[in-house]
Amino acid sequence: MAHAAQVGLQDATSPIMEELITFHDHALMIIFLICSLVLYALFLTLTTKLTNTNISDAQEMETVWTILPAIILVLIALPSLRILYMTDEVNDPSLTIKSIGHQWYWTYEYTDYGGLIFNSYMLPPLFLEPGDLRLLDVDNRVVLPIETPIRMMITSQDVLHSWAVPTLGLKTDAIPGRLNQTTFTATRPGVYYGQCSEICGANHSFMPIVLELIPLKIFEMGPVFTL
Amino acid sequence: MAAPPEPGEPEERKLLGFLDVENTPCARHSILYGSLGSVVAGFGHFLFTSRIRRSCDVGVGGFILVTLGCWFHCRYNYAKQRIQERIAREEIKKKILYEGTHLDPERKHNGSSSN
Repeated sequence: MAHAAQVGLQDATSPIMEELITFHDHALMIIFLICSLVLYALFLTLTTKLTNTNISDAQEMETVWTILPAIILVLIALPSLRILYMTDEVNDPSLTIKSIGHQWYWTYEYTDYGGLIFNSYMLPPLFLEPGDLRLLDVDNRVVLPIETPIRMMITSQDVLHSWAVPTLGLKTDAIPGRLNQTTFTATRPGVYYGQCSEICGANHSFMPIVLELIPLKIFEMGPVFTL
Repeated sequence: MAAPPEPGEPEERKLLGFLDVENTPCARHSILYGSLGSVVAGFGHFLFTSRIRRSCDVGVGGFILVTLGCWFHCRYNYAKQRIQERIAREEIKKKILYEGTHLDPERKHNGSSSN
């Protein structure tokens, strides 16, 4: 989960998120260098002693400041497109979970090997145990195996919602009447948090998502296969 | 990368307010070499030409080019290292899982080398 006042990305829990963080670092370094150049140019402009700064002919400079940004954009676009196509790769998921957004909770359905369906409500502050996270913990977590390709089918029963888990690099809109799909493979066990990411009413901020990722051997012993 | 600062540690500082050089791999290394390159290029240009303004421009240009060059070089090596780590991790897992069976990677390797 994010720590207080965190603005950066969370640690990656899936290979796609690792790639996204790498791309983010790449883009940020380019932005930093461009900002440095612009600040230097601004400093020179503000501190010049020249009284007449009209430039009537600067063909070479205009060529450079047209070609160079185009090259920079290509340098940013190529890794971006690579990741975009990587997220659409078909990887034959082993498990399919349905996630249905409601006002203001999520319903999860594990229907591959049985009929496990449950609701996931945020824990109200009065029901929190010591150590629980306010506005993040839920009564029923989504328990999933690690190192297994998983498909999430996301929809909504009423208004727009969005199912997001930052550490996995996932955010998919839950649209009534439409089934959206996202796939992921988690690389490490743990408890990961997300929040509804599309304004959906008064309690939009109070319908979190909690994934509990566990080893496959332990997952196979759970209610998904024994119910 | 996203760990919160410990109580005894100083607050994290970001270059120009957004580049986290401490936690971004290769960032600190690139910026330091870029700064060194900038000083060398700018000062060297000044020594040869005695033109202050142009030397500053060369310094800034040197900073950008050296930083970018070090950045791409370091990130390329970092990506190679990560791939090697992933392969090593998977091979270790396979070794543990299949040790003693016909799928043991070591047995396959020894069998092919003896042939």
